[in-house]
Amino acid sequence: MASVRKSGGENLLVRYIILVSWALVCVVPILWFLTIGFRPRTEIIVPEPIYWPTWSLDAWRLLVSDWPIALYLRNSILAVAGSVVIDLVLAIPAAFALARYEFKGREDIGFYILSTRMMAPAIVAVPIFFLFKNIGLLDSVWALMLIYAAINLSLVTWIIRSYMLDIPKELEDAARTDGASDLTILREIMIPACLPGIITAAVIAAIFAINEFLFTLLIASTSKAYTMSVALANFTGGSDGVIYNAIALVSFIAFAPILILVILIQKHLSRGLTMGAVKG
Amino acid sequence: MASILLKNIVKSFGSFVGVQDMNLDIVDEEFLVLLGPSGCGKTTTMRMIAGLEHPTEGEIRIGGELMNDIDARDRDVAMVFQGYALYPNMSIYENIRFPLRMRQVPKAQHDERIRRAAEMVELGPFLERKPGALSGGQRQRAALARAIVRQPQVFLMDEPLSNLDAKLRASMRVQIKHMQRELKVTTVYVTHDQIEAMTLADRIVIMNKGVIQQIGTPDDIYSNPANTFVAGFIGSPPMNLIAGTAQNGTFSAAGARVPCPANLSGNITLGIRPEDCLVGGDNLQGLVYGVEPTGDITYLTVRTANKTVEIKAGREFRAPIDSAIAVGFDTSRLYFFGEDGARVGGN
Repeated sequence: MASVRKSGGENLLVRYIILVSWALVCVVPILWFLTIGFRPRTEIIVPEPIYWPTWSLDAWRLLVSDWPIALYLRNSILAVAGSVVIDLVLAIPAAFALARYEFKGREDIGFYILSTRMMAPAIVAVPIFFLFKNIGLLDSVWALMLIYAAINLSLVTWIIRSYMLDIPKELEDAARTDGASDLTILREIMIPACLPGIITAAVIAAIFAINEFLFTLLIASTSKAYTMSVALANFTGGSDGVIYNAIALVSFIAFAPILILVILIQKHLSRGLTMGAVKG
Repeated sequence: MASILLKNIVKSFGSFVGVQDMNLDIVDEEFLVLLGPSGCGKTTTMRMIAGLEHPTEGEIRIGGELMNDIDARDRDVAMVFQGYALYPNMSIYENIRFPLRMRQVPKAQHDERIRRAAEMVELGPFLERKPGALSGGQRQRAALARAIVRQPQVFLMDEPLSNLDAKLRASMRVQIKHMQRELKVTTVYVTHDQIEAMTLADRIVIMNKGVIQQIGTPDDIYSNPANTFVAGFIGSPPMNLIAGTAQNGTFSAAGARVPCPANLSGNITLGIRPEDCLVGGDNLQGLVYGVEPTGDITYLTVRTANKTVEIKAGREFRAPIDSAIAVGFDTSRLYFFGEDGARVGGN
């Protein structure tokens, strides 16, 4: 018995060592990167790494005084949140129809919707540019909102649809014999029942949208419509050469909201991703 | 309260015919059970009455009114599902309230009706819980409460007890029957369990492959099976069916010999219920295949040349395996079926 218990303990120890090492591999670069943001400029490019920094808020001061970070953050949040709302408003009824109604070509339409995800975005970059130029929406957050929504709509529809397919048909039949209309079934039965899927889809869409670079660069020709992703790429620190501590800090600020969001809804997200993988 | 009429109902799914030319007249306040093996069309029939499926041909009337083009939500029927189908995001109280809200029942009545329905199925203390926090039996009772709360014209129950364990099933069965008598609502109940059918039904409809085999009271179906399918489906264990030939007033098969009506000849199947066989006698010779004492009764299985025959022997009966045994039949309780399976004589 004792030997069994011992080998079980050793097993557990090995597991912990492997998992902790992997966690370190993932987390240490992020922490290192964060410390760069809080070092003085002189401590960054040095022959020997300095492991314990002299803490400094230089980079932070530079950001706040010289750089419209609030504007970029506002643009990012507005464009991303708006696009997610548009996606959900359009995708939920579409997913319901694709999951539940019997009509000719249902599978084809579902596949067509997904297939819009399959082409390289660069292919449509030029047409999109002219489209927005003609409707006078260049250099505007609203344009970004529409583009992000369009990019993610198929994926959001597909994720929510696979969740809806997993909701037992009996629930809907029960609601129907209880006297519910289609809209009531969607609102009172389906949406609450697949809320984890809707949250997952929204977060994935938000991650894709906040990281979107190509179209943002194309549409946002001045800093008026810059989002964090494009502003970050253009940011070098100004006339004083490349200021790495400020860049690190900006990068971290761009990265933090999504990190926090993902930690908060981790449980739903992993379930949603595997479900999408199996069913989609 | 209402009668239900199914007239020449056909339901096909592509080339597969689920229900074939069905005619059924269910009278007001009747408890009707649709019984048959899986895939026999009984659930499809029920779903057509509910309005969840539409018949390919034929008429459905509830309370005399033609229902073919009326949506499920506008028919005054309540359905209980095999998987309970409780709304997982709502409390039991809200679940029971849902049909009242959907049918615009005045709000002032809600609370009283919900509590009365919950009392009937003994769910009073659980109203604030979510379905996930209830046991299988409690969930099924919640589903029943949701069906009775709005006092529909018709109850439809689709194998409501099949997810419950045997003991709970027996007690729920009594509860359902009692409730139906009390509420006097026409009820259609689908099951593949013949005990449920026999105990609950005013009339049983036995179906196979989309076709009605027999309609009758439980007693009628038990003592006058119309064909070998019904004979082999009803009873526990079911009727023994022995294939043989009839000639000059005698039926004979390998190891078996009984008198039969003189007008029968050719290939005939003999039917005899396990309780109408007696150990000792001269109608069947065979070897003991198995002896299963259950306390009040002993099940004896006898093997003849090509067939095993089940017999309900006395509680004290014991015999070693493979010993020779002779069995007598109560010759007033024999059934004879023709080559097509239909009953041709006996009893």
